Amino acid sequence: MFWKSKPLWGNKTRLKSSYDAVIIGGGLHGLATAYYLAKEHGLTDVAIIEKRFIGFGGAGRNTAIVRANQRTQYNVPLYKEALDLWPVLTKELDYNLMFNNCGNLNLMHSEAAMKAARMTIATAQFHGVESHLIDAKQAKELVPALNISEDITFPIHGAMFHPPGGIVRHDAVVWGLAKGAAKHGVDIHQHTEATAIHTEGGKITGVETSRGRIHTPRVLVSAGGYSAGLIYHMLGIKLPIAVLTIQAMVTQPLKPLLDHVVSSGAYHCYANQTLKGEIATGAHMDQWPNYTTQNTAHYIKHQAEALSDWLPCLRGVKFMRIWGGLADMTPDMAPIMDGNDHYEGFYMDCGWGYFGFKSCSAVGKYMAQYMASGHCPDMLKPFNLRRYENHQLMGETAELVSYTPNN
Amino acid sequence: MNRLNQLPTLRITPSEKLSLNYRGKTVQGVAGDTVATALFANGVRVFARSLKYHRPRGLYSLDGECSNTCMDVNGVPNVRTENTLLKDGMVVREQNVKGSADRDWLAFIDKLDWMMPAGFYYKTMHKPAAIWPVAMKQIRKAAGIGVISADYQMKGQYDEMFIKAEVTVIGGGAAGMTAALAAAESGQRVVLLESRPHLGGCFDYRVSTTAEGTPLYERARDLAEKVKLTGNIRVFKHTSMVGAYNNNLITAFQVGKASDTFTERYIEIRSDSVVVATGCIERPLIFDHNERPGVMQVGCAHRMARTYGLLPGSEAVFSVGHDLGLEAAVDLFDLGLKINCVADIREDGQNPELMLALAERKIPVLKGWVAAKAHGCKKVEKVTLSTVEGTVKRQFPCDLLVASAGLTPVTGPFILAQAKMGYDSHTGYFLPTELPEKMFPAGRITGVNHPGAIEASGRLAGLKAAAAAGADVGKTVAEAEKAASVLPGPERGCKLVTAPVKGRKSFICFDEDTTIKNIKQAIEMGFDVPELIKRFTSAGTGPGQGGIPGHNLPLFVAKYTASISTPVPTTVRPPLVPTFLATYAGYNHHMFKHTPLHDSQIADGGIFRNIGVWQRARYFSADFDCREEILNVRNNVGMLDGSTLGKFRIHGPDALKALQRVYVSDMSKVKEGRIKYSAMCNDDGCVIDDGVVVKLGENDYYFTTSTGRAGQTVEWIRYHTRFDGWDFSLVNLTDAMGVINISGPNARKVLSKVVDIDLSSEAFPFSGYREFLIKDAVFVRAMRLGFVGELSYELHVPSSYTQAVWDLLKEAGAEFGIRNFGVEAQNVLRMEKCHVILGSESEQRTNLLDLGLGFLWDRKKADAKTVGAVALRQAEKDAGRLKLVGIRMEDDDRPARDGALIVDNNVRGYVATMRKSFTTGQAVGMALVESQLADIGTRIEIFEDECNGVRLYARVVATPFYDPKGERMKS
Ligand SMILES: Cc1cc2nc3c(=O)[nH]c(=O)nc-3n(C[C@H](O)[C@H](O)[C@H](O)COP(=O)(O)OP(=O)(O)OC[C@H]3O[C@@H](n4cnc5c(N)ncnc54)[C@H](O)[C@@H]3O)c2cc1C
Repeated sequence: MFWKSKPLWGNKTRLKSSYDAVIIGGGLHGLATAYYLAKEHGLTDVAIIEKRFIGFGGAGRNTAIVRANQRTQYNVPLYKEALDLWPVLTKELDYNLMFNNCGNLNLMHSEAAMKAARMTIATAQFHGVESHLIDAKQAKELVPALNISEDITFPIHGAMFHPPGGIVRHDAVVWGLAKGAAKHGVDIHQHTEATAIHTEGGKITGVETSRGRIHTPRVLVSAGGYSAGLIYHMLGIKLPIAVLTIQAMVTQPLKPLLDHVVSSGAYHCYANQTLKGEIATGAHMDQWPNYTTQNTAHYIKHQAEALSDWLPCLRGVKFMRIWGGLADMTPDMAPIMDGNDHYEGFYMDCGWGYFGFKSCSAVGKYMAQYMASGHCPDMLKPFNLRRYENHQLMGETAELVSYTPNN
Repeated sequence: MNRLNQLPTLRITPSEKLSLNYRGKTVQGVAGDTVATALFANGVRVFARSLKYHRPRGLYSLDGECSNTCMDVNGVPNVRTENTLLKDGMVVREQNVKGSADRDWLAFIDKLDWMMPAGFYYKTMHKPAAIWPVAMKQIRKAAGIGVISADYQMKGQYDEMFIKAEVTVIGGGAAGMTAALAAAESGQRVVLLESRPHLGGCFDYRVSTTAEGTPLYERARDLAEKVKLTGNIRVFKHTSMVGAYNNNLITAFQVGKASDTFTERYIEIRSDSVVVATGCIERPLIFDHNERPGVMQVGCAHRMARTYGLLPGSEAVFSVGHDLGLEAAVDLFDLGLKINCVADIREDGQNPELMLALAERKIPVLKGWVAAKAHGCKKVEKVTLSTVEGTVKRQFPCDLLVASAGLTPVTGPFILAQAKMGYDSHTGYFLPTELPEKMFPAGRITGVNHPGAIEASGRLAGLKAAAAAGADVGKTVAEAEKAASVLPGPERGCKLVTAPVKGRKSFICFDEDTTIKNIKQAIEMGFDVPELIKRFTSAGTGPGQGGIPGHNLPLFVAKYTASISTPVPTTVRPPLVPTFLATYAGYNHHMFKHTPLHDSQIADGGIFRNIGVWQRARYFSADFDCREEILNVRNNVGMLDGSTLGKFRIHGPDALKALQRVYVSDMSKVKEGRIKYSAMCNDDGCVIDDGVVVKLGENDYYFTTSTGRAGQTVEWIRYHTRFDGWDFSLVNLTDAMGVINISGPNARKVLSKVVDIDLSSEAFPFSGYREFLIKDAVFVRAMRLGFVGELSYELHVPSSYTQAVWDLLKEAGAEFGIRNFGVEAQNVLRMEKCHVILGSESEQRTNLLDLGLGFLWDRKKADAKTVGAVALRQAEKDAGRLKLVGIRMEDDDRPARDGALIVDNNVRGYVATMRKSFTTGQAVGMALVESQLADIGTRIEIFEDECNGVRLYARVVATPFYDPKGERMKS
């Protein structure tokens, strides 16, 4: 064997009593931010505090779909940059993130959906992101397994085809970023829970953890689905976030069948084939807020019903595994990235719902810039928390969404 | 191969021959065979090749814990042939091979394992970047096991069933049957699930006896008979439990027999309590080449002979860690198997009777010994046994190596039910440290193995479950507890983790070809939690659902990383058994609502679309531009099925207060005989609904909502009045009433032929509301509205009469050439009038003011605490919002497409709806634009998808585009 195995993200280190920056949550966003803080801003005295193990949260549960065909001009450039970063990071981290830029098809099942797609496509094209509206027959040419007949619940009218998107190996991103962060001096403390954030005179002074207290002038909460609860309990800041369970599942592994990521809003269902050959498919979120990651009988059945309709050959394939994770949803389906507002030195990066994987690389880069300089980069300005106070939703979703009964 | 055709334990019918096609040849099996046992009977030993290394794989467990016998059956990939019952005419193919399973020319990959340490993908194939796309293609081709063709059509009938029971018993072995019988004593409804095609579990094939001297297989058959005769036990055989959810919702699926009307059936059971009597599988023994064809687990070898009449080899070596292994050795010897040696991992603690039986048969026994290496490639030829410490070694020839480290309980149901699992140092099992609510273990899963103890624990669990489900079981629980306590308890389990090997070819997971060495590599790289190692090495993520590595992986990690003192189990996820999508999908109904006029709309040539929960006629014109439909409404008269509209009645002392809360207008100003158009906003001031309200009497109102909101409206009003304690009743009449919209200059003439009230504009003016009878029988609520911009009546008619009224109007309109119009025509008609459709001219963030509907808002009813009012006050001062405006293209022949962007250097808005108006000849539409662009006359630049840099231009114009004074609709 020509490799000697050595710890990928450094040896276990002792928890120091003070750090220049503390990041709560060893997920995608925490790791990416730490990596860029250390690498680009020379802020290497950084601790990542992770309650379980890195990748325990959404980072290890997502279906790894990446794309840059969001709806608004605030989002597209951010996601475009994130998309462009996968090959760069693969090289920088010297870790194969296995970016499969196979392209995404977003199926449209009505004239209204086609119209909505046109707007999204125009937005992408306006920002130099490749995306096209194709008809059902063209979609079938790309995805031969597609059922484009009229006699299914939601007949397919066409699709939004976005060639630069695809899938990345989610675990590789976690481990690769951890490797990179550790290499630049970041301490990753697993099995350590953050229990309180200390402030004094409007400034951050430290973080309390299950392994002791840390003094620090800067803290980032990027605890995925747990962020909203944490920020409220630790600092009393209420976020307009509803946390819902989102489930995903895989079939038994198959030889290549799907060469693209295919998704359908009407069916609440998407499918793509992993490099291992499993068809990974996800459902929409549960309709009621909860903090559990428990599965429901309904969703796997729903998923089978949906796929039976639009990818009928899969009826002969077996589901092997379903799991759940948390989706922290904001009212406008766009995240909250903010800092230095309520407390000097307090940063948050949350509300990523089910789209926090595809964004993590670029977000890490800009959050690091934010934390290192104290000033919000232009790219992140639209994502501030105050937009909700001002009733200015971002428009990332056109439809009315209701995750909680009150809206 | 000769079958042992006379055994009383057989589950096959040797006289009933079935045939199957295997690699193009027809071979014979018998009824009761699984596909794999039939193939085995025909000499097949290599069933498949492994995923990564293409190692030959054979029968190992018979219960589908690994993909060793996964094959393609009738075009369905990854079928676990070892527990799939043979049906006549099956076509069976091998998977993941180049050539055949026997001669696979990819077998050389097995020699390249040194190139593929744990996680090697992550470290390679990205330097230089250009090789990755090429490598990826190869990886994709190599990965995956079975093939499904893109046009595959799954055959068969897939049923579903939803049942209620007091007690569900999972597992139909002796413990499960006893539990079911005990639970049924108090008359409760019991459901018993068994994954094999027959009840009996581990008693089914054993000739050893109960304390009373009854052979276990007979005892099992007696119990099964009792179960069958108990009316309140419902037995589902060949049914695998796959999921356990909150409040003991159990899901399972049943495989149909040839005589059943279903191929498979999805079953959901809502029961009060659950008994888990799933027994044990075997813990695989880890040694070098531990998965060669010819290496089998104890139960597999034993059942091959006893259940299927197939002696699994001719010359055997046993390497076991449990008395069941010794029992099998004795029995198989008696059935004709030559046994060269039995190595028992345990130094002591064996059942003396079994030791005596082995001695009587002159079978050499080595205590404290274990298999260290299997030799041979496509079949075992000999085995190296070693002392457990690895100090002494001996070799024995054999063509069958029966290998098992011990037992491992099937605790999946507990894990799915959120039980916390912990390591039990006596049994060596992972067991629930705390039982989930109303869930009880029975039988071998608790660690007992004594036949009497198995039954006693079943009885106890059955009674507890019945009690938990509310039965009065009196003192029986205490008695059962006492009876169980005098019998042998949980047995000490064998703790050996691996044979003394380095582990380069010792497989901990067969499906993923993960070796002990790979696990060590992962641990050295810092992956110290079993769950992470699983992800990094893929161990346990294959089609076997972790059945092979589930127990061994945590044990090995604990042993290898001194830092973890007690083993930590990995999670198990549903479905516990891989389940067809077809089975989960069941009937897969289309679930759309039809209006009362559905059939006649079809008969009239309507082209339907799904719109929300409804199917509606969108077009009556094949070209979809709806020109004729539109012009007919403008110039003559048309009829639209508007039945999908939300319709509600609210009444009671506080009805008005509730309306004031949710509607932005002052609803106290609604006058009898008049309709009022208003809107509802959410807390952000964004418009969520619009519709009309009619006052029927004091605190009695009838109102409509948009089609899409009908489902949420009751909850919306209830939610926003939840702290007020108001007294009102709210009824959703959406399905109870059909709606006919009759519009166009001739509408009055048509309507007057069927009603006998005064329809003149003075008697029934625009915005008026009237109630009347048609033909002295049908009660109609009629409103004069102007959504499409013409003289228009909306008739709300009880659903059962809607078709009759429609027909009357159609007949009356015949002389005018009345015709249907659909949703798209309505869309254009109303667009010309600049009447908005929510979701079309608005999006989530669009508020009342943005839409130009601010006039609806009554700011003087602060006491009403109208939802959204606070936000609207704030938004009034906000200049940075999108506004809805009318626009007209500079080139009337080139309307922009819906969804086109309005831009300069940035995106400034978008076109909501635009059409070339047949009525005015202009290309006009509505757009949401930033307020700086909203002034009339502003020139706007339009960016369409695929425009290749060519922009279109339009100007903001006054609205509406058609009949600005509204004379036509008021006429
Ligand atoms: C089923 C599923 C499918 C998804 N599919 C996609 C997809 O296809 N594409 C996409 O872009 N996104 C997808 N997502 C969303 C994506 O996974 C998340 O948005 C993303 O993981 C968020 O990253 P994060 O770093 O903010 O949080 P996480 O990755 O969730 O990490 C948060 C970490 O914080 C830790 N933590 C929590 N509390 C504490 C505490 N008190 N102290 C210390 N540590 C703590 C947690 O243990 C966790 O490890 C999916 C999510 C799920 C659940």
